[in-house]
Amino acid sequence: MKTELIRGNSNTSISLQNPSSTLFSNPQSSLSGALNGCLGSLDGACIEKLLLHCASAFEHNDGTLAQQVMWVLNNVASLVGGPNQRLTSWFLRALISRASKVCPTAMNFDGGSTIWRRNMPVTELAVYVDLIPWHRFGFCASNSAILKAIEGYSKVHILDFSITHCMQWPTLIDALAKRAEGPPSLRITVPSCRPPVPPFLNVSSEEVGLRLSNFAKFRDLPFEFNVIDHGPSSFTSSDHQIMSKESSHDLYFESLLNHLTPSMLDLRDDEALVINCQNWLRYLSDEQRGSNVQDSSLRDAFLCTVKGFNPCIVVVVDEDSDLSAPSLSSRITACFNYLWIPFDALETFLLKDSSQRFEYESDIGHKIENIISFEGVQRIERLESGIKLSQRMRNAGFSSVSFCEDTVGEVRSLLEQHASGWGMKIEEDHMLVLTWKGHNSVFSTAWVPNASMQD
Amino acid sequence: MPVDLDNSSAASGETSVSGSQPPQKQTPSKSVAIAKKKRNLPGMPDPEAEVIALSPKTLLATNRFVCEICNKGFQRDQNLQLHRRGHNLPWKLRQRSSTEVKKRVYVCPEPTCVHHDPSRALGDLTGIKKHFCRKHGEKKWKCDKCSKKYAVQSDWKAHSKICGTREYKCDCGTLFSRRDSFITHRAFCDALAEESAKAQTQSPNPNPNSNPESDPKVQVDSPPAPAPAPAPPPVAPDLGPGQSQAPPGLAQSTGMVSSPVLAIQSPELRDNPPQIIEEAPAPEPILATVTAGFNGSCSSSTSSGSNGRSTSSVFASLFASSTASGSLQAPQTPAFTDLIHALAHPNRPTDLAPSSSAEPISLCLSTNHGSSIFGTAGQERRQYAPPPQPAISATALLQKAAQMGAAATNASLLCGLGIVSSSSSSAQQDNMQWGHMQPENASLAAGLGLGLPCDGCSGLNEFMMGTPSMFGPKHATLDFLELGMSSGGNPGGGLSALITSIGGGLDVAAAAACFGGGEFSGKDMGRS
Repeated sequence: MKTELIRGNSNTSISLQNPSSTLFSNPQSSLSGALNGCLGSLDGACIEKLLLHCASAFEHNDGTLAQQVMWVLNNVASLVGGPNQRLTSWFLRALISRASKVCPTAMNFDGGSTIWRRNMPVTELAVYVDLIPWHRFGFCASNSAILKAIEGYSKVHILDFSITHCMQWPTLIDALAKRAEGPPSLRITVPSCRPPVPPFLNVSSEEVGLRLSNFAKFRDLPFEFNVIDHGPSSFTSSDHQIMSKESSHDLYFESLLNHLTPSMLDLRDDEALVINCQNWLRYLSDEQRGSNVQDSSLRDAFLCTVKGFNPCIVVVVDEDSDLSAPSLSSRITACFNYLWIPFDALETFLLKDSSQRFEYESDIGHKIENIISFEGVQRIERLESGIKLSQRMRNAGFSSVSFCEDTVGEVRSLLEQHASGWGMKIEEDHMLVLTWKGHNSVFSTAWVPNASMQD
Repeated sequence: MPVDLDNSSAASGETSVSGSQPPQKQTPSKSVAIAKKKRNLPGMPDPEAEVIALSPKTLLATNRFVCEICNKGFQRDQNLQLHRRGHNLPWKLRQRSSTEVKKRVYVCPEPTCVHHDPSRALGDLTGIKKHFCRKHGEKKWKCDKCSKKYAVQSDWKAHSKICGTREYKCDCGTLFSRRDSFITHRAFCDALAEESAKAQTQSPNPNPNSNPESDPKVQVDSPPAPAPAPAPPPVAPDLGPGQSQAPPGLAQSTGMVSSPVLAIQSPELRDNPPQIIEEAPAPEPILATVTAGFNGSCSSSTSSGSNGRSTSSVFASLFASSTASGSLQAPQTPAFTDLIHALAHPNRPTDLAPSSSAEPISLCLSTNHGSSIFGTAGQERRQYAPPPQPAISATALLQKAAQMGAAATNASLLCGLGIVSSSSSSAQQDNMQWGHMQPENASLAAGLGLGLPCDGCSGLNEFMMGTPSMFGPKHATLDFLELGMSSGGNPGGGLSALITSIGGGLDVAAAAACFGGGEFSGKDMGRS
């Protein structure tokens, strides 16, 4: 464990490089030092340090230290306090969940199950995605890029891979309906299931499609909605024990991949094909599937497959952070230093006792729990940063497409309507990045397949 | 505050002192475990950046940039540079020093602020200024049309521009200030569904909608939670923004009053049996009305409430055992004793250092950002209830905890639980770091509210290997919240006293209140 924590409590005798010597010989220093340094203090660096102590404790099977740290964290944590306290609460919960897995208990702390399954109606989800521009940023940038890419086409087919239940599409439908060259006909296809992560809807995909159809009809846009029925896998949307099933997650994606063929998707030659990946690629395993070099990861296999469809454009939006390191400590650090962003943003305009805020935060807590307390196939959150993702896309044979001025302008005006901490920047590879107080939060990219011979 | 950041030097308005570290370290080091690329890590400012901490006074000073030649002050560095050109300086002096080219990030002077931490520093001075005003400053600017208040004038101006300007109204009556939110809402709104249903004349429409079938829909979502269903306020489709108790920022964008509805539910959360919401096995095309939708979401949240309780019991066991097992490690008698004593006088934090050579004490003092351990951080906690008076002294408590602990040095989580409840003491426990403190007996267990049977000790190895026998089923009902409450007439006494004494000061008193008072409440955790 090589994590260095020079910042902050530099006089501490606790160095993570040699935990056993210091901790066991001088464990009181860790407890009292940590206590005195952090109790009552809402300092982020201190909390991070504590979290790392805990991670180290897990990694070294030091149950005592783990307990000590968690005890201290508990005194910092508060679900209704400031952003740091709230964030700490969720981390603590995840750590306890991890600990309880190591030591299975008959208590009802079923850390693996979806305790916080909150199914909301579609209209509530519409509000949810607009609470902060976290999702809307991606929607706006992607839709704008899609609009541009399909100019001249009278038929459009969108393969939608996302976790926000088609919240992206009303604005696109609206824009298409007003298109100067006349509205195209639009088909949207979604997989029948989605990763078991919030936000959850209380209706099915079909129902969502129905509403979209209504809306499209209302706007006089020819519209079709399809759900890829990829078979009776063990992964169904009503299965809330998903997380406890070891391999179901990968099975789901394998089965989905098997159904991504031109015939099954009913791909038509005269259509502009759009692939939309929004907060979704991270759920595809990034680990090699086999021992051979040729056995790529699911993620790469997916990209290869869609490249084979020769799409008009592939838009990829995801969160800009690397949260899938094998080391627990790395993940904790990365997570803590990234997920403070939405907590901080919510703090600016929602009260401490706001239930909307709590729900949003608890959904983030869900993610934290998966990242910290699960391993192997159950750890389904395998987020990689925009830079890494871009590299992956290039490796898969895609080239990035820049967002046009109009898009940039649209995004900027969107952000102006939100709290003033939100900003945007354009990074390498034409990547648009949503920033909160200058820190990267969400990236948005657009790609086209390289004109090359298909294999 | 150990580091005084006030600087009134005329030459340059900036002090390159990292406010969060001992002065010899200028740049914050980020955890390098994942820093494999040169460019900035997402979520962290440039590790090479210079962290600048300014005092509030300096930060808000309007003329921070002062010309060294004529002492004229400027608001912006660019203006200063422009002015300096007018002095016809020799070429060399005109050059900016190389250090100035370095990227700078700024931390917020408010120690309790999340941006006080260098890893959360903001990249530009104007940004940190605005942040400081917005977050920690007085809101002097008020919008005429709505009641929003702002601390930064530009925010106020920006808001006034859009306040009440474009408004989009859905057929259901909800108002939106942003078009995209309006469109998205509209697409999924029931009002639209109803409209299209009406458009289809006689045919039994495939869009069942306007039937006010609230009850069946609620049940689909969560059958056994009837309580929330009648509770939510009449969420009629014609909710106006004013009716919403939602935070002002959202008031105009939607009438979805999740907040008050769910807030109503929270007192009930504790009482609901543990439920995990299941989606209907055969999801019906339910076009839930707004009301039903609320019910659904409320039910979801209430139903999962009790899971939180069991969550809290895990916490209970962990924290109980941590005090117990924490004492089982190698003794550090003098240091810790002194520490406890010193900390019993929370108003003299500086006294902690001298009395012993122990590292633990110096640890706490030198801790990051130094300032807020006993001091201002407590301000944040003012809202919490004051702690109850401890009936036993902290030292006694710790002693008790130690005493209750198992003989084995490698206590397990379960061990801690079992240990606390049994009054076994062993010789080994006596030479704890608590040293000369007088042991008390069973009242600690009572005080901690742990009436747990001992399931026997197992070693740490077993703990970590997950032997299922570790955790007996009896702990299931332990409620963390009751931890401090169940002992007779000593509400929160045990552990809160412990915390109070250890931490000292306002902060921990508040933390104690949190601890025992339900701030960290399982019910919240379990809400979904």
